[in-house]
Amino acid sequence: MNARDVAVRFACEGEDLIGVLSLPERPQRRGVLVVVGGPQYRAGSHRQFTLLARGLAEQGYATLRFDYRGMGDSGGALRSFEQVDADLRAAVDQFFTLVPTLEEVVIWGLCDGASAALFYAHQDPRVSGLVLLNPWVRTAEGLAKATLKHYYRARLLEPELWKKLLSGRFAFRSAAASLLAQLRTLLARRPDASDAGREPAGAAAAPLPERMRLGLQRFGGPALFIFSGADLTAKEFLDLVADSRDWQALLKDERVAQHHLAPADHTFSRRAWRDQVTQWTADWLRTFARAD
Amino acid sequence: MIPRAEPFFLDAGPGQRFCLFQAPAGACRGALVYVHPFGDEMNKARRMAALTARALAARGIGVLQVDLYGCGDSSGDFADARWEIWLADLEAARAWLAARLGVAPGLWGLRLGGLLALDFAQRCPHPVPDIVLWQPVQQGSAYLKQFLRLLSVNEMLAQPENEQSKAASNTGALRAALLGGQALEVAGYELAPELGAAIDALDGAKLAPRAARVHWFEMATAPDRPLPPATTRLAAAWREGGCDLRLQQIVGQQFWATQEISESAELAEATCAALEAAAPIEETA
Repeated sequence: MNARDVAVRFACEGEDLIGVLSLPERPQRRGVLVVVGGPQYRAGSHRQFTLLARGLAEQGYATLRFDYRGMGDSGGALRSFEQVDADLRAAVDQFFTLVPTLEEVVIWGLCDGASAALFYAHQDPRVSGLVLLNPWVRTAEGLAKATLKHYYRARLLEPELWKKLLSGRFAFRSAAASLLAQLRTLLARRPDASDAGREPAGAAAAPLPERMRLGLQRFGGPALFIFSGADLTAKEFLDLVADSRDWQALLKDERVAQHHLAPADHTFSRRAWRDQVTQWTADWLRTFARAD
Repeated sequence: MIPRAEPFFLDAGPGQRFCLFQAPAGACRGALVYVHPFGDEMNKARRMAALTARALAARGIGVLQVDLYGCGDSSGDFADARWEIWLADLEAARAWLAARLGVAPGLWGLRLGGLLALDFAQRCPHPVPDIVLWQPVQQGSAYLKQFLRLLSVNEMLAQPENEQSKAASNTGALRAALLGGQALEVAGYELAPELGAAIDALDGAKLAPRAARVHWFEMATAPDRPLPPATTRLAAAWREGGCDLRLQQIVGQQFWATQEISESAELAEATCAALEAAAPIEETA
């Protein structure tokens, strides 16, 4: 289907946000809002989100991506992914204004964009689904565990690798320092504190993974998880699930689907991986009917 | 008050280019086309570009940021990007900005965008009042090598045992393959042999700036760090050729390459101060 890109500007609490809408000729009633994660802006690493939006629009789904306050071209001070509820609401509002035939929005988020989506979705009845890629559940301890378990253990004993890395001017010293820091973090923890949910804190200050779980539980709608095989962030999330009955129960729910892309890295940095993600997303968008 | 930034798509063959226009506050004292760097350096530097564009606008200098073909939000696939299309994109942006503000626009380029700005200025039939260079790449071949190293490191990390990756881990072999006509997918970007060859051939010594004034900024890790010899040599060569060059070091991070987004208020401020002293030049039809 023919689609075109439209430049968009809208306000959030007095700051201008900049975005791009990929608009099909005859858009479906279900649209996609891309929430950008990490230190990225709306185009994404190697234009991942630009190409995703165009791919989805070609299949009939209007797709809006934007820079939240403090990122990319948008105004305001730098902020954390935990403080973007107002930005997401402004974007959803703008989406409905731009596409009058729209009835519902699926939020698509990578990394801490997925985490931000989980915080927001249950607060807005216009959000009908979530696509969550390599969700960011980082705690110092989770990172240390995942690093040791999946990365260094497999690599440390390969002198050949280190030789090559050195000849390629790999930052060996900082990698070694980082390994030591991970070990210290892990060893400093009390053994009975392995479940992040047990950290002492009020509801508002609950650990990140717990707040994300509550977000998904409260949202109650359909969700698609996509995990990269060669990604520490994804491994950390899957380790968390393996250690938590609550997460396992949520992910086993029939409204939740999962895909795993074994060779892919965190940002799906090959055309074949990007295209696979676009296709999984589009296929999934066709599978579910609106709950209410 | 700084006027609101205006995002729009500019028609340019093939397709359209994403543009962000930051109009100047009050009377227009000048204009710049921003030329972004290559690959993910463009993404990381996006915030600094926006912040500096706003700071320049507050001093009366309008800025047009343009995403080159196959980059950012613009049309096309990176695999189809060519140096000549990018040069044409800059002319489209320059013409739009000149018509909008009625002054001759200068150029402001970061890293590889600096070399593109210099190449464009040499070919441009219109007067170019100012060129701002932020840590310009000086040798295309060195830059290409650095970019290809991303591929060799990634492959080593992914498959240390793989025979194929052993061969590919040699940056020289990758360069030869690219220049021999094989497209390469590097860190998510498909680099065409034509674009690779164009970058490989760029030489700062042959791209002496054709502009009334040149403001060159380099980032340094400490205030007492001497400039790299290559930088001093190139600056001396340009000056010998009659270039009015102001070279300045700013202490701060290489914000286009940091893991998280970083800012340098000092660089934005120094850029504004350098241009504030410059008088506008009327655009001639």
